Amino acid sequence: MSNFVILYYTALIGASCLAAYYKQRSVFMLIFSLTLVSFVLGIIGGAGALRFVATSAFVLALAAGTSYAFREFLILISKPGLAKELRTAPLTAAFGMFVIFTYAIAGIFAPWIAPHGEAEIIGQAFAPADENMLLGADQLGRDMFSRIIYGARNSVGLALVATLLAFLMGATAGLLAAVKGGWFDQLMGRTADVIMSIPSLIFALLILSIFGTGLQVIVIVVAVIYSPRVFRLTRAVAGNIVVMDYIEAAKLRGEKDWYLIRKEILPNATAPLIAEFGLEFCFVFLLIAGLSFLGLGIQPPTADWGSMVRENATLISFGDITPLIPAAAIALLTVAINFVVDWMLFRTSGLKEQ
Amino acid sequence: MNDKFKNAEVLLEIKDLKIEGYSDETWVPIIKGVDLTLHRGEVLGLIGESGAGKSTIGAAAMGYARDGTRISNGSIEFDGMELTTASESERRALRGSRIAYVAQSAAASFNPSHKIIDQHTEAPVHYRIKKRMEAQEDAMELYERLRLPNPKEIGFRYPHQVSGGQLQRAMTAMAMSCRPDLIIFDEPTTALDVTTQIEVLAAIRDIVDQFNTAAIYITHDLAVVAQMADTIKVLLKGEEVEQAPTQVMLDNPQEDYTKSLWAVRSFNSPQRHRPTDGSEPLISVQHVDAAYTGGVKVLDDVSFDIYPGMTVAVVGESGSGKSTTARCITGLLPPMSGQILCKGEPLPPRYKDRTRDQLRQAQMIYQMADTALNPKVRISEIIGRPAQFYGGLHGPALKQRVDELLDLIELEPSKYYSRYPPELSGGQKQRIGIARALAAEPEFIICDEVTSALDQLVAEGILKLLDRLQNEFGLAYMFITHDLATVRSIADEVVVMQHGKVVEQGPKDEMFTPPHHPYTDLLLSSVPEMDPEWLTTVLEERGVDNIGEAAGN
Repeated sequence: MSNFVILYYTALIGASCLAAYYKQRSVFMLIFSLTLVSFVLGIIGGAGALRFVATSAFVLALAAGTSYAFREFLILISKPGLAKELRTAPLTAAFGMFVIFTYAIAGIFAPWIAPHGEAEIIGQAFAPADENMLLGADQLGRDMFSRIIYGARNSVGLALVATLLAFLMGATAGLLAAVKGGWFDQLMGRTADVIMSIPSLIFALLILSIFGTGLQVIVIVVAVIYSPRVFRLTRAVAGNIVVMDYIEAAKLRGEKDWYLIRKEILPNATAPLIAEFGLEFCFVFLLIAGLSFLGLGIQPPTADWGSMVRENATLISFGDITPLIPAAAIALLTVAINFVVDWMLFRTSGLKEQ
Repeated sequence: MNDKFKNAEVLLEIKDLKIEGYSDETWVPIIKGVDLTLHRGEVLGLIGESGAGKSTIGAAAMGYARDGTRISNGSIEFDGMELTTASESERRALRGSRIAYVAQSAAASFNPSHKIIDQHTEAPVHYRIKKRMEAQEDAMELYERLRLPNPKEIGFRYPHQVSGGQLQRAMTAMAMSCRPDLIIFDEPTTALDVTTQIEVLAAIRDIVDQFNTAAIYITHDLAVVAQMADTIKVLLKGEEVEQAPTQVMLDNPQEDYTKSLWAVRSFNSPQRHRPTDGSEPLISVQHVDAAYTGGVKVLDDVSFDIYPGMTVAVVGESGSGKSTTARCITGLLPPMSGQILCKGEPLPPRYKDRTRDQLRQAQMIYQMADTALNPKVRISEIIGRPAQFYGGLHGPALKQRVDELLDLIELEPSKYYSRYPPELSGGQKQRIGIARALAAEPEFIICDEVTSALDQLVAEGILKLLDRLQNEFGLAYMFITHDLATVRSIADEVVVMQHGKVVEQGPKDEMFTPPHHPYTDLLLSSVPEMDPEWLTTVLEERGVDNIGEAAGN
């Protein structure tokens, strides 16, 4: 029995004894059942399996620790009102915020962080990782790490602009439809139905192959595809608000539609709209990555996570994980945003923990 | 202790009950040590303002703590069983079978997609007390005892197919389905009109008597509790003020707070009369007919005048067209025919066609202050906006005007200036609503049931404020209400409406002295009085089968 295995079991049993002594029921149950499972795992998989369990637990603990520290940091630097809200955030949400923060830093300061340019060929094709190229080289010999950093700027930036545009169009139309009603509401609603009835990826491919794959075209196409969803949500939320007495009071005062939207409706609709923004951002991001993977999105040599997966896809048959790195970057961001959105949805739905 | 129940068995005993609620990350006490003893067959009235903890105690009597609250201390003993330490499944087995609950809004408590009788039989079938068919027959018998029309057939309707009063009685029948030992009535008649309330009250009192059921009757209406309860317990902010048998409590209240509750309806504004110099009315509604799109006529030839500086109360039960009249005056619902004159000039039927000055003339105060104030807008902006919009005030002048208005409604400007509506109490919100109407400097204000969502003490404060403002600024009010006590205290003239028609109108003193129109008479005699024998007397006068809705037809 290696030292590692002895250490492993000592740590687990020691921790479960401590948990039991301090009456931490759920912690004890977790650790002790892990000990029991480890007996079986150790027999079947040997030290390797235990090492894997230990590493995963360590990574999880590290992530939890980072999230906790990051949340405390945010609470300290924000204003009292915001700090109170942040205190209610679960660790998952803090983790999501931390990931988003990291991506934002990477994207904004990409030229300073990345050791090489995104289109710079510095080594052999598919060169393995060394101290010069942290993650190895891609199919043309460009530094993978630098391209991931630049990809954060390009992919995330593009998705952000497209989502913002979708929200601008969808929310404006939704608010106007709710306030005006009548034929305008009908017209907007039916237009949204028409757009939604066309499968989104096929619609995007069609338009992109007609108008070419310029950045503006991608942004506009994606925004048009996603604005009907925003429209429907906004109209539903605003529809519940316009029947309130305070809207009636403002109408009877003689206020114009624009004032109603800006001052009376929008403040009450922001919470669900922000939550929806996070959710839609994920979908937009995935759609753009998908388009890039199909070759109709961001064009080479610009670094983009979607096309990076495609370009390096052949490596997967050689057992190399290089093509999975940009894919993992996409997955991590999506999960992170959903963690934050979950928390916001929980808050806006008014659910309280018992 | 009520002599009548000295020898009866104790059914429910609550000792030193403390309940805490979770808010702002700490546990705040809601109930601060209340004792309660209830004997078999006894009806206990719990009374107090909103937030006094009445409903929380009612729920605790079932061993139930609502979401976000916990029972932190004390014991609740129901028929020898300690509920605070009982397991959830043991407590659940009591609910419905031995303890039943009747909620305030029957319409919201029935499941709209099941027939009434199916919901009725659910509990007895679940507890295997009766077979489905037996339970249905029993339901029909209960419906008959509760004097529901068509007892054999009414259960097979869906909740939206019967009226509010009938639904509330069906709910009482449902609570009775397992012949519980204890029923908790949580404001069962608060949402009903006076004419409907009386039949529900009579039905509840009968059935509780017949089965010798103990009951806790929660309400904020003293006159109602006087009819129903054997014993009354007064609560204030989670603490007991006093408890006594009904008659003793009414005749001789001990505590100052109880006395103030009893005296609350004493406010009376001196009656004003129409000017005799032939001057024009401020608002004149002339032969107005109205209907909602494609529907039947809601208003039928409605005419009345409102003179400057006077209060015209419009009364009637719900659905009689009171609020629709207000919507016609404000221009939200253009009338089909007839017209509305303001100082002798016809107003455009649609509010969108009216000038800014015409809109300014008529302001509105709403029933539900919660929905009438935007929760995300500061008080300063809610009140300041009309002043800015109509008066063109800006900067320091606007701030001064807002401070002035806050002073008028007796709220400290520095304290409330930058708050948001959810941080205020119900009465304060209603005051902000009044300030918003005043900010436009109108001559005419429509008050749509402004006090009906408020506690009596708070409501009286609002009425006094409205009266003071009327005297100061010479405002005319159109006061929509179904509460005749309010009419008595504030109105100068009364308009009685039924089924969209004006049944009777005239100065207050004439309206409150006989002879009346039969409908006015019915409305007046249906208002509960503090005398505990009142309900019995009224029932004798009208006959048991001829109360409430039946009497109106």
